[in-house]
Amino acid sequence: MVQITFIQPDGGQTTLDAAEGASVMETAVNNGIDGIFAECGGAMMCATCHCYVDEAWAGKTGARVDGEEDMLECAAAELRETSRLSCQLKLSSELDGLVVHLPEEQA
Amino acid sequence: MAVAPVNETLTLADLTRDPYPVYRRMRAETPIVEVPAARRIFLTKAKHTKMVKDDPELFSSDDPVTPMRRAFLAHTLMRKDGEEHRRERMAMQPAFSPKVIKTDWADLYRTIATDYLDRLPRGETVDLFTALCGPIAARILAHILGLDEVSDADMQRWSQTLIDGAGNFGFADEPFEKSDAANAEMDAVFDSLLDRHRAEPNNSALSVMLNAKNPIPMSQVYANIKIAIGGGINEPRDALATILFGLLTNPDQLEEVKRQEAWAEAFEEGVRWVAPIQASSRRVTRDLEIDGIDIPEGVTLMTIQASANRDEDLYEDGESFNVFRKKAPHQAFGSGPHHCAGAHISRRTVGEILLPMLFERFPNMKLDRAEDVVWSGFGFRGPLNLPVRLS
Repeated sequence: MVQITFIQPDGGQTTLDAAEGASVMETAVNNGIDGIFAECGGAMMCATCHCYVDEAWAGKTGARVDGEEDMLECAAAELRETSRLSCQLKLSSELDGLVVHLPEEQA
Repeated sequence: MAVAPVNETLTLADLTRDPYPVYRRMRAETPIVEVPAARRIFLTKAKHTKMVKDDPELFSSDDPVTPMRRAFLAHTLMRKDGEEHRRERMAMQPAFSPKVIKTDWADLYRTIATDYLDRLPRGETVDLFTALCGPIAARILAHILGLDEVSDADMQRWSQTLIDGAGNFGFADEPFEKSDAANAEMDAVFDSLLDRHRAEPNNSALSVMLNAKNPIPMSQVYANIKIAIGGGINEPRDALATILFGLLTNPDQLEEVKRQEAWAEAFEEGVRWVAPIQASSRRVTRDLEIDGIDIPEGVTLMTIQASANRDEDLYEDGESFNVFRKKAPHQAFGSGPHHCAGAHISRRTVGEILLPMLFERFPNMKLDRAEDVVWSGFGFRGPLNLPVRLS
């Protein structure tokens, strides 16, 4: 198991134990985290699982995958350097303690 | 291991009239069931419909015998999988993004809505379905696609003709003769607009596709625009009419929606309650089993999102319209790679703009007689009329 923390736009935090290999999106959806809709179920087609990786972790989550950038352009909230689609962030032991911030809006 | 039970008696006419009692019983008794009248195996539970939509390798959108290909005179992205589908879809997706709606379109939509609301008569019964829901959906889509010059009537006629052709499973001649004629009209109009969009690039779908660095073939540009016409008018039209019906027949909820400005919630509940697109098809690519039922390679499954959206596993009293119900994800926009490309647009146009404007303009809008509203449709569903008095 690895730990992951979701921070809401209002500052509210939730820390969860998550399975390695699961995506950040799946972890959020399975635990009812507000602010991750993930309507397309991880197919990189809806941009409703947008999140910002915390600056401290930005170097460890790797580069955006092929096609992710184009879909992020279609996200509702501001696009930042740290923007990712959480369906493309797979949890691993290197990401134990990961912190992600949720955007103001997803749709 | 068991084969799916067969429902021999159910007809498409039954489903067109009112599918909901049928689906409710299927969910309870035969959630996976073969329906010979539709030549499909129906999946009626949310967990099954989502699983199928989310796995395009086992459940392909590519249907080799689809009448859609004949109707559109093209193999369209709706029936493609994988990279081919993604490339064609992403070619126009920027035109449908929330940011473009905000920066390019929101003011125009408000102006259009004001204009269309101005035309509605007060103090007499008016059918909002034909006087507003259809035309305004057509007008908004025309701008999004870059077809500003096309009339509401032509947009709606093309859309219905394409839908009728794509649903012509018996391959009768007449619907295809009509879709052939509509295709010729559309091609001629698109041809006439290319110079304008090349000279003045903008964020409409046609312009975005034409002016892309690495454009998709012209045949697919046209096919994409046609898919958007076929799939982008009925849905917002029916969503708007359905939500209005839900609110007008539940005045206590309407008051609370106004008080809280819960228009987004009203939108989500309306499309959950009666999903404008009720069912989709997927072809099974190898022998498999779903919940103990054998599903052989090659069969076509029908995911019934209309039923998934009322599934007792997710919703308490899902049969009723309740804006303030406990939140649960619905599948009105589908799931997986073919998740509705217009989801963001419909939320912004219908939910954020049209609904509040309508009730601000006509705060005492009343439905004449709810029992006069006729609902229809198996694949697509919504009211066919909405007689209201505006004041």
